[in-house]
Amino acid sequence: MTLTTAQAPTPRAARVPGDPDRRTITGRVRHGVAALRHGFSGTPGRLRLLAVAGVLAGLLVGLAAGQAFRVSAHALEAADVNATQVIRVQEITTDLVRADAAATNAFLVGGLEPADQRQIYTDGLAQASEQLAQAARAQPADADALGALNRAITEYSGSVEQARANNRQGLPLGAAYLRVASSTLRTDALPVLDALVKANTGRVESELGAAQWALVWVIAGGLIALGVLIGISLWLARRTHRYLNLPIVLAAAITLVAFVLGGLVLFSAGQTAREVRDGPYAAALAASTARVDAFDAKANESLTLVARGSGSAFETAWQERAAQVEAQISSAALVDNVQTDSREEWDAYAAVHADIRKADDGGDWEGAVALATGERPAGTQATPPQTNANTTFADFDTASAAQLSEASKAATSRLTSPVNGLRFFGWLAVLAGLIAALAAWWGVAARLEEYR
Amino acid sequence: MRRLRTATGPAAALALLSLALVACSGGAYEATPIPEPSTAAAPSTASAPTTTTTTTATCAGQSYLASYAPDAQATGPLLTKIKERGRLIAGVSADTLLFGARNPVNGKIEGFDIDRLRAISQAIFGDPDEIEFKVITTAQRIPALQNGSVDIVARTMSITCDRWTQVAFSGQYYEAGQKVLVQREIPQLQNRIQDLAGKKVCAPKGSTSLTKLADFPEVKAVPADTHTGCLVLFQQGQVDAITGDDTVLAGLVAQDPYAKVVGAAFSSEPYGLAMPLKEKGFVQFVNAVLEKEKSDGAWRASYDEWLASALGSAPTPPKAQFGRTR
Repeated sequence: MTLTTAQAPTPRAARVPGDPDRRTITGRVRHGVAALRHGFSGTPGRLRLLAVAGVLAGLLVGLAAGQAFRVSAHALEAADVNATQVIRVQEITTDLVRADAAATNAFLVGGLEPADQRQIYTDGLAQASEQLAQAARAQPADADALGALNRAITEYSGSVEQARANNRQGLPLGAAYLRVASSTLRTDALPVLDALVKANTGRVESELGAAQWALVWVIAGGLIALGVLIGISLWLARRTHRYLNLPIVLAAAITLVAFVLGGLVLFSAGQTAREVRDGPYAAALAASTARVDAFDAKANESLTLVARGSGSAFETAWQERAAQVEAQISSAALVDNVQTDSREEWDAYAAVHADIRKADDGGDWEGAVALATGERPAGTQATPPQTNANTTFADFDTASAAQLSEASKAATSRLTSPVNGLRFFGWLAVLAGLIAALAAWWGVAARLEEYR
Repeated sequence: MRRLRTATGPAAALALLSLALVACSGGAYEATPIPEPSTAAAPSTASAPTTTTTTTATCAGQSYLASYAPDAQATGPLLTKIKERGRLIAGVSADTLLFGARNPVNGKIEGFDIDRLRAISQAIFGDPDEIEFKVITTAQRIPALQNGSVDIVARTMSITCDRWTQVAFSGQYYEAGQKVLVQREIPQLQNRIQDLAGKKVCAPKGSTSLTKLADFPEVKAVPADTHTGCLVLFQQGQVDAITGDDTVLAGLVAQDPYAKVVGAAFSSEPYGLAMPLKEKGFVQFVNAVLEKEKSDGAWRASYDEWLASALGSAPTPPKAQFGRTR
């Protein structure tokens, strides 16, 4: 009716001494902490603590196992990507050296450049460019190095075109440009390719190592979780005089199974990684290195003949490369599941090379050129031999390419076959962890009920 | 219910943590390092040490042009070895147009220097083609003779006092002079080497042309393996001029229409065939062959074939001096 007296102040909530004011943020935090402390005191409090610990343990094993499986799967996939990159870079090297060998070979014959040699050169450069683009896409960390490689290849092909243009006009200047081109290839392009191979083999090694270390996650997580759950179980047995708390036991059982099974699966994945590294991957690497060295040897053989009497340094290089080729072919053939072998074809080519050297050192340069190229050198009448360096080397090329392809397919399939299973197990492990957490919570909650 | 509420806090924190763990991906790789370009070139044989210039016309009391007296019946250990072997091993150039160059069309090495070798082969074996050619660079001319890998060098080689201490020369078979090759568009001013002050001038390693450049410290000397190596640098714009014998430069101009040879010769370059130092008999035999060529018209015919279009009709052959005593 009328405002008579001032309103009595709204009675505040009863203030417990020490209870901070709930209207401010710090007030609310302090109130929350106090409530928490109150909640965790006494036996019901201890039980709540145990419940939380049990949940954490279950989640821990789930997450640890899940993470381990995920890391393992990712490592195997990454190892496969890097291994493919190594083989791809070796293929680029092979293509470039093959193109160089064809260009030098064509020059050796003199006269009009043979059409098939020109085709080999063009194809070699085209394939190298394609593979280069794929390599940049596959591994962005290689982008800078591949850019430098692209520059070197552009410079190289420019010099070869100038050599060709001058040769076409009958000018000896062409030989000088060819020398410049070969030198550009060897000082600018090949070292970059070596660095790429080294970097990517390093990445393969580190990924294969990571796949094996994933086991540690599972073991650590599993042991901790199991310890916590057993601790809870013992405490409950002592306090509540009921020896077996079934949900906790279920949680512990799930943890144990996840731990043991996960450990086994990861261990076998690690074994696979090791086997692939020492088996098909090593064979693929050996086969591709053999091919690079073989094509380099072939190019050196032509350079020896181009130098016409001053090429002893190139012949020394041929001998070195040939020794490496033989060593690599042997090590590739040792791997069980790689069937094709290129040893015979290499020996056939090496025999022809010995004949070439004999002819050249004996003063018959034209005969040596005919043996090396299978073409009649311009101006001579001799018929070129059927078995010559180009034909025998082409056989070796086919055989070693087949060897390489078989080994790299085997490596890829064996590396990537466990990946899907690992991913599946990873999600299964997370699920198992959740179930274990829920079971632990339920088990302790049942005891907590008795305090109500 | 209160017990659920007290557990939601830690549970929420846990959920966030697990999401973070699962979401964390593997680290990215470091970029592949690009190696420094190596200065080691493709395998090539060592270059000869540079000899100091001497401009004295006499050395050890004899004219540097004086060779051993010609003798068609001369013999010696090297000549015997060549006859037994059945072929003459000669160090030549394969890319000095006009003097010794590989004809890309027919694959043969031919030129003015090669014709001298063919005459020698004809005199020894009766067949001008019993020659094994070893292609060498300018710097390899003397070492190849010293280590016995070639019997004779026919590669636009100038006779000098210093070289007489390392190899033996025949009588001179051609008189050249050192000149300069520049871009066609350069104005007439630059027709002496002194006008090229501050510019880069190329000459082959181990040649008298390179040694002569040391007399002009104002130009920057750039060495290359061969004359065509110089032409490649010239075409790529890495050098401004090339110096060498006018004959060799004529061969370079024939390959590049944007180049021209300018100025008067600023040194005299008498060409001789080089042979191992102690082989007096072989040198006498070769001198006899050369003298016969000059007198029976073979020299003139060879000059007309190779050099007439670049340098005009054949002059009288240069008169060789003989009378060397040691």
